[in-house]
Amino acid sequence: MHRRSFLVTGTAAAAGLAFPAVLRAQGGDTIKIGFPGPTTGPFGALAKDQQQGAVVAMEEINAKGGVLGRKLEVLFRDDQLKPAVGAQRTKELIENEKCEFIVGGLAAHVQMAINEQTKKAGKLFISVSQSDEISAKPDAGPLTFHEALNPTITGRAVAAWIAQNLGKKWWIVYADYAWGKQNNAVFSEVVKKQGGTVLGSTPYPLGNAEFSAHLPKIVAAKPEVLVAVTPGADDIAFLKQAASFGLKKEMKIAQPLHWLPYLKEGGPDLYADIYAGINFSWQLEDSIPEAKNYVSLYRKKYNEPPGDYGAYAYSAIHEVARGIALAKAVNSDAVAAALIANPAYNHYKGKQWWRACDRKSFQDLWIVKGRDRSKMKGDWDFLDIVQKVAASEELDRTCKEKGFA
Amino acid sequence: MRTLTGWIAVHPVLAFLVVFAVFPFLVPYKALATQVLIYGLFALGFNLLYGYTGLLSFGHAAYWGLGAYGTGIALAKLQVGSLWLALLAGPALAVVGGVVIGFLCLRRRGIYFAMLTLAFAQLLYFVGFHLADVTGGDDGLRGISVPPLVLPGVRIPLDTSLAFYYFAFALVALAVAGLKRILDSPFGAVLQAIRENSDRAVACGYDATRVKHLSFVFSALFAGLAGALDALRLNVVPIESLYWSTSGQVVIMTLLGGAGTFFGPFVGAATWLVLEDRLAVFTESWPLVVGAIFMAFVLFLPKGIWGTLLARLGP
Repeated sequence: MHRRSFLVTGTAAAAGLAFPAVLRAQGGDTIKIGFPGPTTGPFGALAKDQQQGAVVAMEEINAKGGVLGRKLEVLFRDDQLKPAVGAQRTKELIENEKCEFIVGGLAAHVQMAINEQTKKAGKLFISVSQSDEISAKPDAGPLTFHEALNPTITGRAVAAWIAQNLGKKWWIVYADYAWGKQNNAVFSEVVKKQGGTVLGSTPYPLGNAEFSAHLPKIVAAKPEVLVAVTPGADDIAFLKQAASFGLKKEMKIAQPLHWLPYLKEGGPDLYADIYAGINFSWQLEDSIPEAKNYVSLYRKKYNEPPGDYGAYAYSAIHEVARGIALAKAVNSDAVAAALIANPAYNHYKGKQWWRACDRKSFQDLWIVKGRDRSKMKGDWDFLDIVQKVAASEELDRTCKEKGFA
Repeated sequence: MRTLTGWIAVHPVLAFLVVFAVFPFLVPYKALATQVLIYGLFALGFNLLYGYTGLLSFGHAAYWGLGAYGTGIALAKLQVGSLWLALLAGPALAVVGGVVIGFLCLRRRGIYFAMLTLAFAQLLYFVGFHLADVTGGDDGLRGISVPPLVLPGVRIPLDTSLAFYYFAFALVALAVAGLKRILDSPFGAVLQAIRENSDRAVACGYDATRVKHLSFVFSALFAGLAGALDALRLNVVPIESLYWSTSGQVVIMTLLGGAGTFFGPFVGAATWLVLEDRLAVFTESWPLVVGAIFMAFVLFLPKGIWGTLLARLGP
């Protein structure tokens, strides 16, 4: 390439990169919501479900004319499961794209990094994944909302149910990092309160799911229930090894959560008869009209039923829209105040509400059990819904325990 | 063009001041400019050791991380009210790390040296991971609030992106001037002599190990200052700050821009970060594009972007 043409092309390319706003087609006067999530990396399937849930909500709202006569626009960014990237993408969404609201986050540590940016910029943030810290001091700010369940709520609900229904002698296997340790602590506390015992526990390094050395010890201890806190890809590795050691015949296996993308990946043979909690399962469409609406919209767009984490995102986008409509303003402070003043809502699974002190959403959850392959109707029918656990503020820590006076 | 590169080569500090004074207005948003500035400083520190002294450290995340945690812990855990004191804590910790780790690693050369630096950085990563009460563990250190900048007679809050950019700009400019001073000194000449032929430098009577150690510590100081500024920029210190991938990133930025050139690190950091920022909006596969560009430079233009420009156009 000639030197001059090289310089000209280079300058033009640099200008194109530097001023994308000029080159981009004008989208009109939309209300922008930024949505960071780890679409690449080990939790990509959950992040994709979240994005799709958000898209369904956006299109549903826009089809009805938007909010205050303006269309919603959700801008997705990949946070690569890294806090520094999540923080930088959030800065970009707020400063460059002028997003007034941020919804998103999956991993707890990335959520908290996003939250520091929204706090500093004074923007509303609705977190749509599990974390105990995000709705407690010192992380929670006045504009930090938490739509998802958290380890305390899930743990207390699921652990109490297991102790009452499956047995009181437990062994706990958990991934040795923040989420795993939190779950281990909550489960251990609850089983003792219920008069049971933890016979032993096995921490293992996250992502290093090699259990063959531990499984004989667990079998020998003869627990009634094996609680496995083995997130993501570890879960499938763990359940395969547990099945090959014949653990399923010796004891019940239970987990804090099931996730639809992993049920699909692992298949019914792995997950049959494994108990867990869940925030939403598409089979609820049979009994809840709002669930039927969400599931059918999602199916129509993506030809598959929605997962559990996508539902959080669907609900959170609706909450931003509801807040804007209530406040009659596209402004984080006004929307936050409007949501707290009108805390009750119901977008996909029955009544939910925001607690004023910590802006945490309280909601029903369900105890589910992996369904046997022979009983499945269709490709996605992995779960039997065993029992509903009704929404209750008692399940979470109190406002005082979370640092709010 | 030739006179321009010539002028930049003669007055690098002035050129830095001119370019980065207007830089926030050349990129899509201010926070991106700050990111480039801070990673540029990190790469500048790395370049002192690799580009000028010829020592490939694969563990520079250690000093970036120590700088970030030093300042972060001072603000979030120790509740230090003074910005200057907090900003001193990070680089000071990085210097201590540089003195100790440099002393141990410099007993070996080449690949063994690189592996040792990597091993020490990973060691610090695991310490940071398990000392959760102090570092926040894998949740990262949060709650870092940036105190206002207090100068005699004025008090400037740093909570806007632009204010923080110019604050960082002033400090990075000092660091750039400091580096220029180091390189222009007899000490700087010895560094480059060691890079070209270590045995010959020793034969000339220089204590090569001591000079390398000093270069290592200066490099850690710059990396630590960059890390400290990054803690203030993000208000969090992620545990990945100490991870080997951070070390890899600074190596790539330096090579892309041009190792051993004064501005290469800044050019590399700017290219990498601006490309990442813009491409990631359109595609999740941005590393493929940036990776291909990086490989093309290593294979065809090993002097990097700035190094190639200098070779083609002057000075």
